Amino acid sequence: MTLEVFAAIIAGTIFGTFIGALPGMGSVVALVVALPFTFSMSVNAAIALVLCIYCSSVFGGSISAILINTPGTPQSAATVFDGYPMTQQGKADLALGWATVSSVVGGLFSLIILMLAAPQLAAFGVRFGQVETFALILFALTCIAWVSRGSTLKGLIAGAIGLFLATIGPDTMTGLSRFHFGIAELSGGFSLISVLVGFFAMSEVFSRAAIREEGQTEHLLSGVGFRVAPWPEWRTRLRTLIQSSVIGTFIGVLPGTGATVATFVSYAEAKRASRRRDQYGKGEPEGVIASEAANNAVTGGALVPTLALGIPGDGATAVIMGALLIHGLVPGVQLFRNQPELIMGAFIILFFANILMFFAGLLGSQVFTRLLRLPEAILMAMVLLMSLVGAFAVRGNPADVVAAIIAGVVGVLLRFNGVPMAPIVIGMALGKTFEESFRQGMMMNDGSFLAFFTHPIALGIFVLTILVVGWPIVSRRFRGARHEE
Amino acid sequence: MKKVFRNLTVVVAAAGILIAASPVWAEYPERTIKMMIPFSAGGGTDVPGRFFAAEVEKILGKNIIVSNVTGAGGTIGATQLSKAKPDGYNLGFMPVGTTTTQPHIRKTSYNADSFEPICMVAQGPLYVVVLKDSPIKSIDEIIAKAKKGTVVTAGPPPGSLPHIAQAAVANAYGVKFKYVPHQGINQVAKSMLGGRVDVTVWFGDAAQRFGLRPLALLDSKRSREFPNVPTLAELGKPVESFVWFGFFAPRGTSSAIVSKLSNACDAAVKKPSFVANMKKAKRLIRYMPHKEFKAFFRRQFEQNGNLLRAVGLIK
Repeated sequence: MTLEVFAAIIAGTIFGTFIGALPGMGSVVALVVALPFTFSMSVNAAIALVLCIYCSSVFGGSISAILINTPGTPQSAATVFDGYPMTQQGKADLALGWATVSSVVGGLFSLIILMLAAPQLAAFGVRFGQVETFALILFALTCIAWVSRGSTLKGLIAGAIGLFLATIGPDTMTGLSRFHFGIAELSGGFSLISVLVGFFAMSEVFSRAAIREEGQTEHLLSGVGFRVAPWPEWRTRLRTLIQSSVIGTFIGVLPGTGATVATFVSYAEAKRASRRRDQYGKGEPEGVIASEAANNAVTGGALVPTLALGIPGDGATAVIMGALLIHGLVPGVQLFRNQPELIMGAFIILFFANILMFFAGLLGSQVFTRLLRLPEAILMAMVLLMSLVGAFAVRGNPADVVAAIIAGVVGVLLRFNGVPMAPIVIGMALGKTFEESFRQGMMMNDGSFLAFFTHPIALGIFVLTILVVGWPIVSRRFRGARHEE
Repeated sequence: MKKVFRNLTVVVAAAGILIAASPVWAEYPERTIKMMIPFSAGGGTDVPGRFFAAEVEKILGKNIIVSNVTGAGGTIGATQLSKAKPDGYNLGFMPVGTTTTQPHIRKTSYNADSFEPICMVAQGPLYVVVLKDSPIKSIDEIIAKAKKGTVVTAGPPPGSLPHIAQAAVANAYGVKFKYVPHQGINQVAKSMLGGRVDVTVWFGDAAQRFGLRPLALLDSKRSREFPNVPTLAELGKPVESFVWFGFFAPRGTSSAIVSKLSNACDAAVKKPSFVANMKKAKRLIRYMPHKEFKAFFRRQFEQNGNLLRAVGLIK
């Protein structure tokens, strides 16, 4: 390992953590910014830089999710549910500790799986077809019910809005744009980042400005930096940690499914299986674990198809693949077979990246928790500015900035009416794959939906989905009946 | 007070004259140039585009900022470029689909007249590919299978080059394939490796990345990469389809600037560093100078419109 590679690992990890923490600047933006620098680096240093940025930016997203109720990246959207309530209770340092350790564990777990069984898992991943993907997304959508506490109806409406937003723009099946009302800027659809930034960050800023008038902004101040909870607290939550790492790795392996799906599936499953179910959404560390272990476990998982098959698992791994292509390395079957030393090097880099992430988290939380002590107006102005830059940076389309502002205003109205934001983002993040896998599946099964139930894996997921949706109804009936006795 | 005001007027006037006069004696380029690529960083268009930008930057001696304006088959970026100020500081690197097929399919505000083609930089021919261990060994076997039952093909959304190419191949043999649209080649590769798609049409890198096997090449002559793969023309059906990438300015850019850029392009594609980079990334350089490319571009625009009509994608 040369000095250059080592420098790239450190720079990449710190840079990734900080960019990930900025609202709206996700992994893709961080990677694109770094891409030109890799041109003049050696191959190994370039690989080190992009891999470290990738892993640490996914973790970085949790910092702003926890501290300011705004996920830095879409993958951290589920971290908000329990991370931010912890901040409101003055436990931000603890929340960051849970998030950091979970991220490191998730990342290392998936790395081990990547090292042990990449080719075999990749072969399984491609067998997971349209029908199975459809079933999986359907299950992930049940998360809407979990996160819309209080009013399920409002949550479902919000989810439907999200699904609708995902239909705007290019339609893969026909190659045409739809629902853009002749507005050329809309023909590419909404970018998830700009909508996310609008509904979370901008609406947070706007509503705080509105509430400020009434003079009730104070919440408990947390300690600076991060604090790792004592072992007994971890021990009782170990199950969630492992389970979420497995879910994240597994979904990461499936090309084109993505980290956002993984976090929602993980959150939904953790909540379903938990004894602390009632505490979820009120600042239960398990919620943070479920989301953060899963999204970092996706990193190793998503690299499985990228390295072993040349199929990038998501937008971020697609950019990583581009960086490798520029260096004359074509990830895929031949690279994996012919240059094992390169793949081994990538594993070692990833190992260091995940360990260093802990220290980057230590450093990042020192900086970012202090930001909470800034006068609120200044902090909110910074969030606003970063959000707008982030919304623009993803696709370079000014319309995305307008979309973010509109989403922010709509978000405020929805908040004041008690409509939860998260289901909109869930619907939007999952909508496109949901629809496409359904329509492609229908085509491949000659237009028969019943044929979907003949796929064994899909059938299993359908059954699980029915159990998840049906259980609360059944248990309420059961409990209600017992009461009457 | 009056004097101050008068002095100010003089300064403003002088500044005005300076600004107005500057193009006369300032040598283009005098500041940073923007180059728009309508697809995401690290992708098929972006990689040659960035290599090319790095060379042009050295030749012109001014920074070039590459911006990826993505979405809707590249039409969002292309629309932006067509509306940009034609001052030589707004340029673009775009592929065949965005510039010559999308305007026919979508109602884009731009068309063949919206751009000043500067030069063609790169190209890539398409191959008919199957899975490495697929029982299908030749084009004839695909056709035989299509006549008996269904051949499932896949590719990017309808109207994309691979979609048109597979339709052209099917047309040439008088059969029909079942085309399942996917977002892009990565999703297609997943479906193929999972055994849900029989055949697709893609570039040479499909072999190296996904281990797919080329059966025929849609070009006029065999490639250096796969000397044993016949062209479809050799097999009796002269179907040709390849993607190209060109360097564009908005229409209205002055001829002095265009000729300067065209010279820069000429020098850039011959630079050893460019040749080496493209070779490393397994991409083919195909240079076509300004005049030739301009005529070629117009021809392609019309031909692709006709082709889309022939396969029934536009009426």
